Amino acid sequence: MTDPKTQTGSRQDEFEFFEESNALWWITLAPTTWAVHFVLAYGGTAVWCAKFGETQGVTVARLSIAGLTVLALGFIGWLGWRSVRRWKPRQNDMEDLSHPEGRHEFLGHAAFLLCIISAIGVVYVAMPALFITTCR
Amino acid sequence: MIDRRPQGIYPPTEEMLAEPVPAEVQERQADSLTKVWKTKTGIRYLMSVNNSEIGKWYSLTCFGFMLLAGILALLVRVQLAYPDMQFLDADRFNQFFTMHGTAMMFLFAVPLFEAMAILLLPAFLGARDMPFPRLSSFGYWSFLIGGIFVMGSVLFDVAPNSGWFMYPPLATEAPGPGSDIWLLGLSFIEVASIAAAVELIVGVLKCRPPGMRINMMPLYAWYVLVVGGMILFAFPPLIAGDLLFELERALDWPFFDATRGGDPLLWQHLFWIFGHPEVYIVFLPSIAIAAMIVPTVAQRPIVGYSWIVLSAVGTGFLSFGLWVHHMFTTGLPNISLGFFSAASEAVVIPTGIQIFVFVATLMVGRVKISLPMLWIAGALAIFTAGGLTGVMIAIAPFDWQVHDTYFIVAHLHYTLFGGMVLPVFAGIYYFHPFFMKTYLSEKAGKWAFWLIFGGFNLTFLPMHLTGLKGMPRRVYTYPGDLGWNWLNLISTVGAFIIAVGFLIFLIDLLRPGKRKLDHRNPWRAGTLEWTDTLTGEDWGVRSIPYITSRYPLWDQPKLVERMDAGRYYLPDAPEGLRETMVTSVIDARPVQVQRVTGDAWVTLWAAVFTGAAFILPTFHMYKPAIVAGAFAIVSILYWLWTSTARKPEKEMKDVGLGLSLPTYASGASAVGWWAMWITMLGDSTAFASLIFGFFFYWTARPDFPPMGADHADGWLVALTTGAILLSWALTVGARELNRRGHVNPARLCLVAGPVLAGVAIWLLTLSVLGLSPSTHTYPATVCAIVIWVVAHAGLGILMQLYCLAGSLFGKLDPDHDADLWNVTLFWHFHVLTVLVATAVIGLAPRIL
Repeated sequence: MTDPKTQTGSRQDEFEFFEESNALWWITLAPTTWAVHFVLAYGGTAVWCAKFGETQGVTVARLSIAGLTVLALGFIGWLGWRSVRRWKPRQNDMEDLSHPEGRHEFLGHAAFLLCIISAIGVVYVAMPALFITTCR
Repeated sequence: MIDRRPQGIYPPTEEMLAEPVPAEVQERQADSLTKVWKTKTGIRYLMSVNNSEIGKWYSLTCFGFMLLAGILALLVRVQLAYPDMQFLDADRFNQFFTMHGTAMMFLFAVPLFEAMAILLLPAFLGARDMPFPRLSSFGYWSFLIGGIFVMGSVLFDVAPNSGWFMYPPLATEAPGPGSDIWLLGLSFIEVASIAAAVELIVGVLKCRPPGMRINMMPLYAWYVLVVGGMILFAFPPLIAGDLLFELERALDWPFFDATRGGDPLLWQHLFWIFGHPEVYIVFLPSIAIAAMIVPTVAQRPIVGYSWIVLSAVGTGFLSFGLWVHHMFTTGLPNISLGFFSAASEAVVIPTGIQIFVFVATLMVGRVKISLPMLWIAGALAIFTAGGLTGVMIAIAPFDWQVHDTYFIVAHLHYTLFGGMVLPVFAGIYYFHPFFMKTYLSEKAGKWAFWLIFGGFNLTFLPMHLTGLKGMPRRVYTYPGDLGWNWLNLISTVGAFIIAVGFLIFLIDLLRPGKRKLDHRNPWRAGTLEWTDTLTGEDWGVRSIPYITSRYPLWDQPKLVERMDAGRYYLPDAPEGLRETMVTSVIDARPVQVQRVTGDAWVTLWAAVFTGAAFILPTFHMYKPAIVAGAFAIVSILYWLWTSTARKPEKEMKDVGLGLSLPTYASGASAVGWWAMWITMLGDSTAFASLIFGFFFYWTARPDFPPMGADHADGWLVALTTGAILLSWALTVGARELNRRGHVNPARLCLVAGPVLAGVAIWLLTLSVLGLSPSTHTYPATVCAIVIWVVAHAGLGILMQLYCLAGSLFGKLDPDHDADLWNVTLFWHFHVLTVLVATAVIGLAPRIL
C-alpha cells in the first residue's frame, strides 16, 4: 500500500478479491472437481441402474464414468500445472512470508498439493466402474 | 456518497512502532478500555456476551453433558457385564444407549468445537472479540435450553430409544414423545451450530490482525475455516431430514413409510450425509489443537504448513463422499458401494498426512515432553489404531461381516477418543493457564492420562474380538454360552477405570487453590494468545498488533511490550463503545472499525422463546408454540434494530499509528453481509436436500409420481414465480434507488415488494390446496417444498418491511444502507430457491 489514498479500503478489498480471492477459490477448485466427478459418477450410476440397469446393463454408465474421469483428470492436471507456476518451487525462508509473493506462492503450493490428492481421489472413485460389470 | 476508504499510513514503519507512548496516556487508555469491556457481576453476569465468558460457559456445559452421557455409558456397561443381567430393562437400556450416543455427538463433540473456538479464536487472532458476540450468546443459550430438554427426558423415562441415528420406521413408529424430543430438541441445537459456524468463518476471514495474511494464520484458524464450511454443508441435510421426519410424526405425511410411496432409506441418506462429515467436524478442530501444541513442544515452526492446509481442506472435501459406507448392507448396487468404498480409502491420505507432519515436526524439533504432549501422543496412537480398523471396514465385504457388531463400536470409539477426546484434554491442559490463569496439577494430569488411556484400551480393544465373535450392537443382554462373557466383563472393568480417570481430572479442574500463573507464556509458545496478561483482562488485547510472522512471539521481539503500551491499533475506547478491527480477507489490510454489540438480556430472551417454539410442539401444544415463535421474532427484531448496523457518531475514526478507518460498512465489505452470505449457503444446502429427496424418490420408487396423481396447479405455480421475481426486482431496485438518493421511490419499492411476495405466498398455497399429503409421498414432498418456500417468502417480507421501517425512522439512508444490502442478498438466494422449487413442483412431474 504505497499510495494509501488511492488503493485502500473497500476498493482495495475488491481489487484483492478479484486477484487473490480467486486464489482462495482456486485452492478449492481441484477438490470441487473431485466432488463433481464423485456426484456425477454416483448419481448417474444410481439413476441409470434404477431406470435402465435391468434391461441395458451398466456399460453406458461405465463408459460415461471413464469419459468423466478423463475430463476430470485433464482439468485437475491443468489446474496443477497452473498452480506450480504460481508456486515457483524454490528455496525460501520465513522472511518471505509477510510479503505478497509469500502469500501468492503459498496459495499455489496448497493448490498444487490439493490437485494431487484430488487426482488420487478421482482415480480411486473411477476404479469401481473399471471392475464392476453389473448393476447388482 | 461518503468516502470510506482508509486514510493514512499502512503498514506502519519501524520508527512509528519504536516511538514510546507516554505513561499517563497508557493509563488513561487502559482505564477507558476496562470500563467499556467490564464484565458485569451478580445476576447481570448472565447478560455477558464477551467471547471469553460465553466460551467458558459453553465449554463447561459441554463438559457437563459429557459427564452425564458418560454415566449413561457406565450404566450400559454394568448391564452388559454379565450374561442375562437384569440391572436395566430393555426399554431403559435402549433409552440409555440412544442418549449416550446422542449426547456425546450433539451435546459434547460438536458444541465443544464451537465452545473452544469461541473461547480461543479471538485470542489467536489478537482480536478483542468475535464479530457477532450476541450471536454467540444466543447460540449458547439455545444450546443450553435444548440440551437440558433433550438430556432431561432420560429422567422422565421418555427419552428417545431408537438409536442415535433414529432410523425409521422404528423411530417414526416409536410411541411416546421420545423421537419428537430428539428431532425438535436437536434441530434447535443444530441451528445454534450453524450460527456458531457463521460467526467463526467470518471471524477467521475478517477479524485477523493487520498483516496476518492468509498464509500466516495459526493452523487452528485454517481448521476452523474448513470445519465451519463443513458445518454449512453437513448440518442442513439433517435439518431437512428432521423437517420431513417431524412432518411424518405430527401430520402423518408418509415420507419414510414404504406402504404409501415413502422410503426409509432417504432418512439414512440424509442422516449420514450429515453424520459422516460430522465425524470429521469433531475430529479436525481437535487435531487442530495438536497443530498448536506440537510446534510449541518442538520449539520450532510446524514442518509443512501448506501440507496441513492440504490435509484440512482435502479431508473436508473427501469426507462428504463417504456417507454410504454406513449403508453398505442396505442393498444398494455394488457399483455404488464401490464409489463410497473408494472415497473412504482415499480420505485416509489427507488424514494421514497431518499425522506425518506432526511426527516430522517433533523429529526435527527439540522436544521436551510435557503433559499436553503426553495426551497428544496418546491421541495419535489411539487414532491411528482407529484409522486402521477404518480402512478395514471401508471395504464393503469386510463391513458386511462386522456390520452392527461390537467391532464397529470399538472402531468408532477408537477414532473418537483418539481423534477428539484425548486431543481436547491436551488442549485443556495446554490452554488452562491461558483461560483460567492457573495451572492444572501435573501429577493428577498424569494419573488421569494413564487411567483414561489404559482404561480405554482395556474397554475397547477386546470389543474388536467381541464383535468378530458375533455380538451385535444394541442388545440389552445376551445368553452365557456364546463366548462373550469374559470379553464383556473386561470391557466393563475398563469403563470404570476410564471413569476414575475422568473423576481425577474433574476434581483437579474444580478444586480451589490451584497454582497461579507465574509467567505469561508458560509453554514458550509462539502464537498470539500467550500475549494475554497474567490476570487476563476483559478487553483481551491492549492494542491490536501488526503481525509479520506465523509465530509472532518468537519472531517479533518487541511485540508484547508494544502491545501492552498501546503502541498498536485501537488502544483506546474514547467513545465508550466495544470495538474490534476488520481486515481484508486475503492480506489482512485494515478496512474498518467494527463496533461489536455489548451485554444484553435480549439474546437470552430470544433463545428462551425460540426454544419454546421448538419444544412445545413435542407435546402437541401448537398454539403456544406459535405465540412463542412470534415472541422470538419480536426479540430478534428488537436485537437487530437496537444494535446492528447503527449509524456511527462519526464516519471515520483514528485507530492509531496514523491510520483512519471507517466506522460503518455496507455491502461486501461489511461483516454482516458475509454472515448473510454464509448463512444462506447453509440454508440453500437444506433446500437442496429437499430437492434431493424429490429426485431420490423418483429414482428409488416406480410410483413417484403415481399414475394419474394430482399435481400442483401449473398456472398458479407460474404466477407465483412471476410475483416473486417482481418482488426480488423491487428489492434490488430499492437498494439502487436508495443508494442514488431517491429515497421515496425506494420506499415505494419496499411497499410493493412485500405485497407481491404476500400475493405469491397466497398463490402458491392455493396451488397445492387440492393435494392430500397424507395419502402418498408425492403430494407430501410437493407440500414440504411449498412449506419451505412459503416460510422463506415470509422471512423475505419481514426483511423488506424491516428496511422500510429503517428508511422511515432514519436508521437507513443513502449513506447507511447495510441492511438493504443484506436483505437484497437474501432475496438473491430466495429467488433462486423459488425458481428451482417451482420448476420441480410445477414442471418436473409433467416431464418425468
